[in-house]
Amino acid sequence: MTQNATLFENGAVDVLTFDLDGEVFAIEATLVQEVVDRAPETAVPGAPAFIDAVINFRGRIIPLADLRLAFSLNARNSSLDSRIIVIAHEIDGEATLIGLRADKVYEVTTLDEAATEAPPRIGLRWRQDFVHCLAKRDEDIIVVPDLAAIFAARGQPRAGAAITPLTSH
Amino acid sequence: MSSTDPVEIFRVEAQELLEQIEQGLLDLSHNPGDKELVAAVFRALHTLKGSGAMFGFDALAGFTHHCETAFDRVRKGEVKATPDLVSAVLNAMDHMRALAEGRPCDAAVGDALLVELEHVVAAAGGAQTPAPAAAATPAQPARDPGLTTWRVVFTLAQDVLINGTRPLPMLDELRGLGPCQIRALIDAIPPLEALTPTNCHLGWEVVLTTDQPRSAIEDVFMFVIDDMTLEITEVKDSAADAVVEAAPPVASAAQPVADAEPHPDPAAAAGGDAKAARADASVRVPAQRLDELMDRVGELVIAQSRLKQIAGASQDMNLRSVAEEIEHLASELRDSMMSVRMVPVAQLFSRFRRLIHDLARDTGKEIDLITEGETTELDKTVIERLADPLIHLIRNSADHGLETPEERLAAGKPTKGRIILAARQAGAEVVITVKDDGRGVNRDRVRAKAEENGLLAPGAAIGDAELLQMIFQPGFSTAAKVTNLSGRGVGMDVVKRTIEGLRGSLELSSPAGEGSQVALRIPLTLAIIDGLLVRVGTARYVIPLSAVEECLELTPEQDARSTGRSVLTLRDQLVPFMRLRSMFDTKGPPDAYQKIVVVSTGGDRVGLVVDQILGDHQTVIKPLSVFHSEVGAFSGATILGDGGVALILDVGHMTSEAAQTSPAPLRAAS
Amino acid sequence: MPSILTVDDSASIRQTIKIALSSEGYSVSEAVDGADGVAKADAGAYDLIVTDLNMPIMDGLTMIRELRKKPAHAGTPILFLTTESDADMKAQAKAAGATGWLTKPFDPDQLVKIVNKVLAR
Repeated sequence: MTQNATLFENGAVDVLTFDLDGEVFAIEATLVQEVVDRAPETAVPGAPAFIDAVINFRGRIIPLADLRLAFSLNARNSSLDSRIIVIAHEIDGEATLIGLRADKVYEVTTLDEAATEAPPRIGLRWRQDFVHCLAKRDEDIIVVPDLAAIFAARGQPRAGAAITPLTSH
Repeated sequence: MSSTDPVEIFRVEAQELLEQIEQGLLDLSHNPGDKELVAAVFRALHTLKGSGAMFGFDALAGFTHHCETAFDRVRKGEVKATPDLVSAVLNAMDHMRALAEGRPCDAAVGDALLVELEHVVAAAGGAQTPAPAAAATPAQPARDPGLTTWRVVFTLAQDVLINGTRPLPMLDELRGLGPCQIRALIDAIPPLEALTPTNCHLGWEVVLTTDQPRSAIEDVFMFVIDDMTLEITEVKDSAADAVVEAAPPVASAAQPVADAEPHPDPAAAAGGDAKAARADASVRVPAQRLDELMDRVGELVIAQSRLKQIAGASQDMNLRSVAEEIEHLASELRDSMMSVRMVPVAQLFSRFRRLIHDLARDTGKEIDLITEGETTELDKTVIERLADPLIHLIRNSADHGLETPEERLAAGKPTKGRIILAARQAGAEVVITVKDDGRGVNRDRVRAKAEENGLLAPGAAIGDAELLQMIFQPGFSTAAKVTNLSGRGVGMDVVKRTIEGLRGSLELSSPAGEGSQVALRIPLTLAIIDGLLVRVGTARYVIPLSAVEECLELTPEQDARSTGRSVLTLRDQLVPFMRLRSMFDTKGPPDAYQKIVVVSTGGDRVGLVVDQILGDHQTVIKPLSVFHSEVGAFSGATILGDGGVALILDVGHMTSEAAQTSPAPLRAAS
Repeated sequence: MPSILTVDDSASIRQTIKIALSSEGYSVSEAVDGADGVAKADAGAYDLIVTDLNMPIMDGLTMIRELRKKPAHAGTPILFLTTESDADMKAQAKAAGATGWLTKPFDPDQLVKIVNKVLAR
């Protein structure tokens, strides 16, 4: 299950929305295996900071990724709301389980394609290829990340800051 | 889930049979007089033909039939097993394989092969007999309109009951044809003293009215027809409902009862005691079931380690002793599972004999394949994955390594090139080498190719070992022309990746004048190993016990003395050591008395400094995702008794890191 | 429910026989060669045995003879699989004590019919 241009079938897609340092992100609901509470983490020395730990998920050892690093967001201390979203992401043709840190998990909701737009070429404070699209809902902007691109780049945000921050809520 | 479809099962069987036939033929080409081999090849061909016909592989059955007939004649001594005959059938193997796999086949190819076979058989001493057609299907009995009444009188051979024949079902079957009146004939029953209860002394007279033809009545007795008396007469008058007339005494055209004594049967003698061909007392198990079983054992081991932890903290002596017993049993179960999956590499090596035969033919070179250590065992799944890399390496040697007979002669070598395939166990690894006595690796050509492909800056200095490693880089090929044999896109880089995928390593060496050798090192067990659990800071790691030589204490004096240096003296030997705390960038103060775990792999040793040695741990290896296996320092991870995770150190990586003077803390690739 | 033992070194043939006879309501067990056949027959109680003749370890003829030596199997119907053309084999098998035969390649319906006939169902 990879994210690609056919994200929106029939003009809409179900997503799980969650919070990273105050920003709202959304990923395809079909990718999500489970949402678990914080779990004991084991650091992997030498791994990229973006994905530098593993957890025991139902007897399987899966990597733990921090999208906040990919988007240069602050890593908040874990709170009661912190969760780990376990997704199945295809790498080299094989479905790999990966845990994503989340500061808070909101809900499963539907995004209409009509309400989305491609990320702007300038003015975006993040790597453009990391963002699949932006969606507007009420006053919020929801970021739909391009997980494939992020994992392929091992979460490295481009060196150097972008020009202006994007206005969100 | 294993297939329950007989056709699918047959496909697998057909491949095995073809393999057996091929091996038998190859052996036969060395020992043409060996009757056992001839019988074995015949049996396999016979089975292949019979089963092939059963499951709709008519082309295969038809073709195999001719080979079977040829071998039957050899078996009977009518025709000799000449090398040409063996070759002819060997040449037909690929065609039969294609037929068995259901691949599209050129009938002309098949016909040509059969013509060759015919000629060879004729030359070997027998005029070709036309092959009889496959079994005819039983003819359908014609429906006889109208009813006929028959009188059926029969007696069976005395010993039929011993042979499991039951007269009563026969009578039932007659009843099934139509209304009957049955009378038993008791005249032949001897007095009690002479009565053998297991003999059949009865006869029967049955008057049957049926619309079925006479053949239907005869069919009832199909199995015993040769040894009985049977009289079927049509009753013309309308006696259908009449009382059965007193039957005239049975006219016994009694045939002599078949002698129950078996005549000497050569097949029995051959089949029974003498070397039982290739079959051992074994059970065929789908590999997937072995994998599942392996997973169960792995889970059992994890659960057992949790039990161990709980028991260790408990004061209950009973609990502790049971936990210990379960640990022992789990360990034995694990060992048994390991050995179940272990198969001798001979299985793999035997496939290559045919390959060499074909390579020699295709390249016009003379090649001898020598195998060593065929009884060395490897996990079954590993063996499967080694097949392609080894084929590629062998092809490489034959194609690029070995010279033509003329070149060899000019170089003062024997005309026959040698490829040596050897397997041996070295500690926790199996080492498989492919060595040839050919021209070795041409360094200049490798260099030129590396520069051409941008892998090396022109003129840059590079060590010999590193230059050879270039061969394993993707996109590299030194073949002046990509030949049919080894240039199929399966490059050395794929070989390397496959071996590394098995957590193994490979090494190419080519000393001047000694041809070239590729050594593959594969760890013995993929799934569960004995591990040494250690603590570095707050994190726990596992070191494969098979690599551990010894554990020592790092005294504070040694610790102080060795800051800035990374070698210590161990019984008069210098052993490099690495502080894992530094390597893993561990926070916090170290333990007062640290420990050194001396590990070795392939002759290299290094001491790993840890905070604490926690003890033995049966380690179920769980794979790491690609993100973490890239790190190199860890070959996997495991789940501990308390649910926590411990990373498994890759000892090979550690020892090669130690080769550098001062290992820096592990840095993520930026 | 009558039980049947099929003895054949070919898994595909065993499977074919098993499927055909099970669907007729018989309970079918398998043995992979003559020796295995004798062992299983001794350990179980079968109403009928169907066997191939061409098997490793112990062939069908030998197995039939072995079975017939034992009182327990003296009266058990034994069918063997044979190729049509082999009259010699058939004679030997009958002499060894076989009850009946089935020619290869066989149609599973044929098999069922003959088994039913021999077992009188």
